[in-house]
Amino acid sequence: MLDTAAPLVKVKNLKMHFPIYRGILSRRAGEVKAVDGISFEIMQGETLGLVGESGCGKTTVGRALLRLYDITEGTIEVNGHDISTIEGEELRALRPEMQMIFQDPQASLNPRMTVGSIISEPLDEHTKLSKVEKRAKVGELMDAVGLARHFADRYPHEFSGGQRQRIGIARALALNPKFIVCDEPIAALDVSIQAQVVNLLEDLQEQFGLTYLFISHDLSMIRHLATRVAVMYLGKIVEIAPRDALYEAPLHPYTEALLSAVPHPDPSQESTRERIILKGDVPSPSNPPQGCNFCTRCPKVIDICRSVEPELQNYGDGHFAACHLLE
Amino acid sequence: MFHYTIRRLIFTIPTLLFISFVIFFILDTAPNDPTGNLPLTIPPEVRVKIRASLGLDQPMFIRYLLWCQQFFINEPLNMIEQWFDITIGDGTRLRVTSWSTRSPVVDLVVERLPQTLWVVGMSYVVGILIAIPIGVISAYKQYSWFDQLGTFFSMLGFSVPTFFTGLLMIVIFSVHLRWFPSIYDTTHKVTDWSSFVFQVKQMIMPVMVLAFFNAAQLSRFMRASMLDNLQQDYVRTARAKGLKERVVVLTHVLRNSLIPVVTVIALGVPQVFGGAIITEQIFKVNGLGQLLIIGIQGADIPLVQTLTFIFAVLIVLFNLIADIIYGLLDPRIRYD
Amino acid sequence: MKIPNLILAAAGASLLATTAFGAAHEARGRDGNVNIIYWQAASIMNPYLSGGTKDVDASSMVIEPLAHYDENGNMVTTLVDEIPTVANGGVSADLTSITWKLSEGLLWSDGTPVTANDVVFTANYCMDPSGGCQQLAKFSDVTNVEALDDRTVKITFGSAKPFPYGPFVGSTTPVLQAAQFAGCSGAAAPTCTAANFKPIGTGPFVVSEFRANDTITLTANPNYRDATKPAFATLTFKGGGDAASAARAVLETGEFDYAWNLQIAPEILAQMEAKGMGTVLSGFGPLVERLMINLTDPSASLGDTRSTVANPHPFMTDIAVRQALSMAIDRPLLVEVGYGKAGKVTCNVLPSPAIYDSPNNAGCEIQDIAGANAMLDAAGWAMGSDGVRAKDGVRLSILYQTSTNAVRQDFQALIKQWWGEIGIETELKNIDAAVFFGGDQSSPDTFQKIFADLEMYANNFDGTDPEAYMGSWKCSEIPSPENAWLGSNMPRHCNADYDALVAEMAGTADISKRAELAIAMNDILMQNYIIIPLVHRGNVSASANTLAGVKLNAWDSELWNIADWSRK
Ligand SMILES: Nc1ncnc2c1ncn2[C@@H]1O[C@H](COP(=O)(O)OP(=O)(O)OP(=O)(O)O)[C@@H](O)[C@H]1O
Ligand code: SF4
Ligand SMILES: [Mg+2]
Repeated sequence: MLDTAAPLVKVKNLKMHFPIYRGILSRRAGEVKAVDGISFEIMQGETLGLVGESGCGKTTVGRALLRLYDITEGTIEVNGHDISTIEGEELRALRPEMQMIFQDPQASLNPRMTVGSIISEPLDEHTKLSKVEKRAKVGELMDAVGLARHFADRYPHEFSGGQRQRIGIARALALNPKFIVCDEPIAALDVSIQAQVVNLLEDLQEQFGLTYLFISHDLSMIRHLATRVAVMYLGKIVEIAPRDALYEAPLHPYTEALLSAVPHPDPSQESTRERIILKGDVPSPSNPPQGCNFCTRCPKVIDICRSVEPELQNYGDGHFAACHLLE
Repeated sequence: MFHYTIRRLIFTIPTLLFISFVIFFILDTAPNDPTGNLPLTIPPEVRVKIRASLGLDQPMFIRYLLWCQQFFINEPLNMIEQWFDITIGDGTRLRVTSWSTRSPVVDLVVERLPQTLWVVGMSYVVGILIAIPIGVISAYKQYSWFDQLGTFFSMLGFSVPTFFTGLLMIVIFSVHLRWFPSIYDTTHKVTDWSSFVFQVKQMIMPVMVLAFFNAAQLSRFMRASMLDNLQQDYVRTARAKGLKERVVVLTHVLRNSLIPVVTVIALGVPQVFGGAIITEQIFKVNGLGQLLIIGIQGADIPLVQTLTFIFAVLIVLFNLIADIIYGLLDPRIRYD
Repeated sequence: MKIPNLILAAAGASLLATTAFGAAHEARGRDGNVNIIYWQAASIMNPYLSGGTKDVDASSMVIEPLAHYDENGNMVTTLVDEIPTVANGGVSADLTSITWKLSEGLLWSDGTPVTANDVVFTANYCMDPSGGCQQLAKFSDVTNVEALDDRTVKITFGSAKPFPYGPFVGSTTPVLQAAQFAGCSGAAAPTCTAANFKPIGTGPFVVSEFRANDTITLTANPNYRDATKPAFATLTFKGGGDAASAARAVLETGEFDYAWNLQIAPEILAQMEAKGMGTVLSGFGPLVERLMINLTDPSASLGDTRSTVANPHPFMTDIAVRQALSMAIDRPLLVEVGYGKAGKVTCNVLPSPAIYDSPNNAGCEIQDIAGANAMLDAAGWAMGSDGVRAKDGVRLSILYQTSTNAVRQDFQALIKQWWGEIGIETELKNIDAAVFFGGDQSSPDTFQKIFADLEMYANNFDGTDPEAYMGSWKCSEIPSPENAWLGSNMPRHCNADYDALVAEMAGTADISKRAELAIAMNDILMQNYIIIPLVHRGNVSASANTLAGVKLNAWDSELWNIADWSRK
């Protein structure tokens, strides 16, 4: 199935640099290279997991993909439209196709709007539905995410975290998107509720034929959800591979280290698991190290790593990694 | 909300009574003498008699109770009589009377309200109307030249006192250009177009001077609140929904940012009633601020006491109003 | 024959024209509106309830006394035809009564006749013990006021009054309408707001709108006794702001026609006047800025007897010190710095009216530091190593107090420097005017208590007669705890010769003899350096160049002749 699917999203050499302003006159004093040249594709109907430590740029990738930022460099293609530089009306017209579920369900909902108007607002903007139709649609969406319809008149703060995330999901679904970026949609939730929301997302994917970019730092969750997985470190993708290949045989030292921290589902393998502890801090994205990004912390670092940046290369079966050791 | 409001109002009463006593106490203990400003040709023996005729020879506590009776009982009764055109009792009761004018303080206040509300109130409105767009645009285009300019002007508005800007305007527009009068005519009545033009002319300078000052503070506040909200995730959500930028900024960001700003605006309203003392003085608007100053200079204690107390009431009241507005605007706040 | 006819015709025509013009020129209200600004706003139109100059002046346009003082300090008739004197029989030979006769046909602005009853009523109104009348001093010693007939009033005094022109002479004691103020006497005085704001009067104007402490709008009195006056139909009397802005409104923007009391830096006033829109006027009454020496010891350690005659001052009792203090002062410089056109050097505490101005003290305008030093040396005050003179362990160190006021603080700084040059150390203190001049018993900072070695302020007297004023420095006027610090003898000067002169003046009616006595009293104070005069201060006002008839009057209300004002 994967082979026959066409890529829905194509990203080439995406860069997102945030300017830093300093001093009384607020002069531009450098930039945070939050995302620094990444490329990947997401097939129709698949879930691409994006993992990495906090601050490595996952959220930035997600937002840049949906053009919530004006990107610094690169191209983004969604459903055949190049959206990398379009603006205004043109971009707005494409919004319904791609949506995002945010990390913090509380902050991402306008506190002064009722749930009903939060969900129906995109309908006002992009459809010509009558009031009654809109109300019906809101009702359907709330049903779909498992919220009682009479909640429509309440405000976000009156809900629990899980319920709020359901509101966020209903809102994202309102315009029948093809592609949804899920930015750690469960990170802010209780463990007991996490599973419910994940299941909901899976059901919806099936029901509506959605394509997900699923951002998380929870490797077990990604293993459960994703078809393919991309690993990010300091603004770059260091490894990208089909799920099983990545979890069974990681190529990149960073991926190895990450996985070593995850308990293995198979108890026989779990007993032999050895944790690789990474030393030192993640370098600042405003001043990344020369050569390989990971060289300051890599347990297998060799000389060349400190001067030459490794390229992301295909090591068979769609398994890409960027490390000098593999070359 | 209703119960909350009632509860707060009830709690307000002892607070205000306490405030009124504190004001009275402070005014009484401060060294001042209502005959101090009289010409020295009036001999001291006569001054003693004048002070006695003002009731100053009585103990302070008695004078305070007298004031309470005049202010809390006689004045409201009198107001009711005037509104409904009836007579309660024999209709003669002692009202709070100014020492310098020998007339009821409340009448003086009523006489001065129009010019203060017109000039100071208008400046407040103009200030708000200037401040909000400036704050919004400055925040939306943070670090742009517009923002830098806005910052510069609000610094200026903050740091240059109104007596300086006022004087500067008088020198430019009254002395040199002769466009606007330097002295406000409180007796002027708007009856036709040309008298309306005159009214506008005489209001422009004091209104602008004050509006500039008010806008300086408020635009900073608006900007900060906007910046706060622009960073929020729900704004990103709104953008992701594919809303027009105008809708994102005006309905989502602006509405949320206005909540604290509206509160600040409500809290500032008592200042309008308090008049802008200096500006009123410079342009001779002779509103409530100038009344207070004259009262203080002339040690007209009933006047100062009553005015200060009215201001205190307004401050307490608008604090409550600000809280209520906040509750109405922000669904997250519930008082009951 | 043709030519003379023509001339005749032309002459006739021109005659016609002039009479027509003359008639128009003389109609009441012909000149429209006049704008007056008093930067201290008027609070009330009744001088009996407020003696403030602003209130007295404002009310002087509406209510009038029987006689006024003109710009030279001479008495002129207002509601009477003749000033009563001993010579014309109006003042009794024993000086205990004065009889005024109202002019015929006087009307109040409401059209009712003015009668002697109104005058009687007014006197009783002020003398009511519970009314707090601010002009009570004007009625001192009055025992009875009665109407002899409709137009004749007799005022009787308890003792001989050589100068019986206290009541009803000058704008501070105008005649009120009995009908309007009936029921407003005594404790009821403050309740008559309407009457106090819009008194019915005989003056050239009538109040049409009174906004307390703000603006008074007046219109010409239709029943004013001179049918051709006032020239202005309406008058706006605006209050508020400060002296500088009032000056600007007349001299720079031309919004106002007359501005009162422009006590601002002389050079700024001169700059404004140079714009050519108006003229700065000054008038000199008896106001003198002076130093009052404290002859008693103000040390705080003395407790209740501080600054009382119980403790003579440790060094101010030495005339050499007092004289040296005076000699070291450069009076012309003080005038220049502080008052410009509004000040003159004076060596007398009583410099005017002119007949009372002593010729015996000239020379003080010359500063004499060397002379002062020599005098102190001779008196045994030896210069110490710290630059301060001392004798027998007493250092010449002075506390010099005054009210808070820019000019006074400039004066303090200059004088301190000069005294430093003669080895006298000076500590300066300034006190808020309301406290300094206020009679608050609880405050240690009143000018009557004078808890300092000397103090500076200005004082004058009302009207033209200095008897009461010069009486300020007799022994019984010394403020002390016993009399609740009342009294105006701040120096605590007590001199039998002086008191004798005061008593003699009280029994002398002859004006030139009275002048001699006043000069003698002035000379005692000056030559003993009890009071050190600094500047003879005038009133400064500004009048628009389009305004005619203004005569600045330092002896009465500045608006005393407002009926004669007109537009050029
Ligand atoms: N608007 C911005 N301006 C400046 N720097 C930014 C901005 N947004 C993100 N950054 C920086 O870019 C880097 C990547 O941030 P990002 O939010 O994408 O990380 P993340 O991988 O999503 O982390 P987390 O797991 O904590 O959510 C961080 O160093 C962050 O400080
Ligand atoms: S390139 Fe070098 S530093 Fe980078 S991951 Fe590979 S071994 Fe480590
Ligand atoms: Mg993130």
